[in-house]
Amino acid sequence: MTSIGLTPSLRMTYASPIEAELTRLSEDLGHCPDLVARYPMRWLAIQLLEGDALLQAEVERLGGSVASEALAASRMRLETHYGEDLDVAMVDQRYRFVHDLAAQALTRPKTPSLTMSDRVDRIVTNRWLGIPIFLGLMWVVFKLTTDVAAPFVDWIDAVLTGPVSHWIISLLSITGLSGGWLESLLIDGVIAGVGGVLVFIPVLFSLYFALAILEDSGYMARSAFVMDRLMHRLGLHGKSFLPMIVGFGCSVPAIYATRTLENERDRILTGLLVPFMSCSARLPVYVLVAAIFFPTMAGLVIFGLYLTGILVAIGLGILLKHTLFGNELPTPFVIELPPYRLPTLRNIWQQMWERTAAFLQHAWTIILGTSMLIWLLLALPVSGEGGFAETDVDQSAFAAVSGVVTPVFAPLGFGSWETSGALLTGFVAKEVVVSTMIQVYNVPGEEEEEAVATTFGEDLLAIGGSFVSATSDALKAIPSIIGINLAAEEDEQAPDGLTGAIRQGFDASSGGHGALAALAFLVFVLLYTPCMVAVAAARQEFGSRWMWVSIIGQFVIAWLAALIVFQGGRFFL
Amino acid sequence: MADLTIALAGNPNVGKSTLFNALTGKHQHVGNWPGKTVAKQEGKLIIEGKHLTIIDLPGTYSLSAHSPEEEIARNFIVCGRPDAVVNVLDAANLERNLYLSAQILETGAPMILVLNMTDVATARGLQIHPEVLSTRLGIPVITMAASRGQGLSELKRLLATLARTPREAMVGSSVCA
Repeated sequence: MTSIGLTPSLRMTYASPIEAELTRLSEDLGHCPDLVARYPMRWLAIQLLEGDALLQAEVERLGGSVASEALAASRMRLETHYGEDLDVAMVDQRYRFVHDLAAQALTRPKTPSLTMSDRVDRIVTNRWLGIPIFLGLMWVVFKLTTDVAAPFVDWIDAVLTGPVSHWIISLLSITGLSGGWLESLLIDGVIAGVGGVLVFIPVLFSLYFALAILEDSGYMARSAFVMDRLMHRLGLHGKSFLPMIVGFGCSVPAIYATRTLENERDRILTGLLVPFMSCSARLPVYVLVAAIFFPTMAGLVIFGLYLTGILVAIGLGILLKHTLFGNELPTPFVIELPPYRLPTLRNIWQQMWERTAAFLQHAWTIILGTSMLIWLLLALPVSGEGGFAETDVDQSAFAAVSGVVTPVFAPLGFGSWETSGALLTGFVAKEVVVSTMIQVYNVPGEEEEEAVATTFGEDLLAIGGSFVSATSDALKAIPSIIGINLAAEEDEQAPDGLTGAIRQGFDASSGGHGALAALAFLVFVLLYTPCMVAVAAARQEFGSRWMWVSIIGQFVIAWLAALIVFQGGRFFL
Repeated sequence: MADLTIALAGNPNVGKSTLFNALTGKHQHVGNWPGKTVAKQEGKLIIEGKHLTIIDLPGTYSLSAHSPEEEIARNFIVCGRPDAVVNVLDAANLERNLYLSAQILETGAPMILVLNMTDVATARGLQIHPEVLSTRLGIPVITMAASRGQGLSELKRLLATLARTPREAMVGSSVCA
């Protein structure tokens, strides 16, 4: 091959009546310089005869009446041969051309063997076995992202709250800056905030590991196929199912997973519903509050919350299908089932690494910024005698700011500045709800006067320790939530005085219906915006408009649901 | 010398993204399911001093503008005027894949056929005769197993000899619509 010719020498010829019209039409259209400048003439003529609406409009715009009349005349003449089915005839002739070409270039085995993929598919996509197999695999993924990841989550958490914090404190004491606002900022703001992101790494890593295997092996395409019929009833697409499942782990990768859907309508609709799948970060909130108010049936309450999330998503899906998204035709479900392949380690590692890195890049700036802001608000005194970073929480700017939004939550039974503040910070991340509640409800300790640095560090350790045990307990309880073992024990050890303080707080804000208010609070936590990172992900994927629809929609739904729980409960009790 | 633009086109899940990554050294997400590449991706390749821009088009079964992916692919092949369209085919499903090839042929774009996944095809007992396709169509045909790196150097060698092909039929604006 010297000067290689890439221009095909073979031209596909259609039946002679069509060819005659193609020649004629390309000549006629060739008189229009605007069209010649843009399109290959023969190609354009083929598309027009096949009835391409986009190009026909283009020809009418650029070629004017002469061009459209030429096209109409060609069509008219061909109608005598093909009737209304000219496009079908052309596609058919193209298929015949392809068939002949393939027949020459390919020798098939005499008896086509049933491939391994075919045999596996007979079972995996079986009408009856398909869904059970799928659910079984999803359960394994679930276990992987929870039970398997949990010890690593604990470990990172322990390292950050233990050694890392100690090192920073010692480092500060060497430079003579210990005990001051800088230490508070670094430990309470930076470490707490960035740590909140870092603890997610094991969960995401194991999730991406499972997803990479499912994708690379070729199962993912099958799962969408298997779930399609069920998902269609909800106005969704078979491929929407995977993001929903991923949503139980974390809304952020779930929102990104909507990319696998081809159609924008399906992508956005799935993205709107995904946040109602109760993500793992909400679990510590459920565990803490349920253990205080419903110690005997905490497991049932938590299970009920997960179920509520699913039901809200189903209801909203059906509603949106018939309203906002009703006029758009759903895409028919056609998916090519790729052959099963053994996933390569390199590919899996690459996916795990790149997706986790991408998450961290998007997450850390928001979390760092917000946690420093909250720290600042908690440190700023607006009343009382405390100085900067030494003020009591109820005299801090945080209490003042939270106080502004309390009326919004008053009808729901939890209109105190403490809960409002916790929910405000919950916009950043749901884990922050627990740490905020622990901070704001914590009665100022007597020992706090002495050696500030160590006591503060010990306090933090205690908080960290209880959070770790809560998280690990909670994560272990996840299998029970999907119905494996409902007898999970909840031994949440709330810090001394905290249980009482939270109970008193809810009782006071609800006029004596503390438990009901707590339940409403949990429903609200379940349904409102999962976290800032999810918001950022939604904006990146669907644009600002849908981001706001999502935020406001979730808030309204959460508010109404909590209202129904509290006011409805009060009416009946 | 000006850049040459090479478009990768083909059905979904035939290994376009794998080939794209192998050519450009990029790490575009590769997965064993159709529809990963929603928008077109761009990368660079320099061979023998020649600067090539590689465009990975979304996978489509045809060039009729029924879906956003088909529209993206069609617009680029027809209006983007690539210097060559590298049409990647799944050798194990040759006939179905050739339908898109037939449509690309009709655009008159300069073309190279890459028969990918020949290892899978051989395992199924299929015998492929690339020389028949090459002589009949009058364009280069390369057999490849991109996941194993087979056929890659051959394609690169071919791309290195590529010259800018003037397409007189289409001058002026590079945007159709």
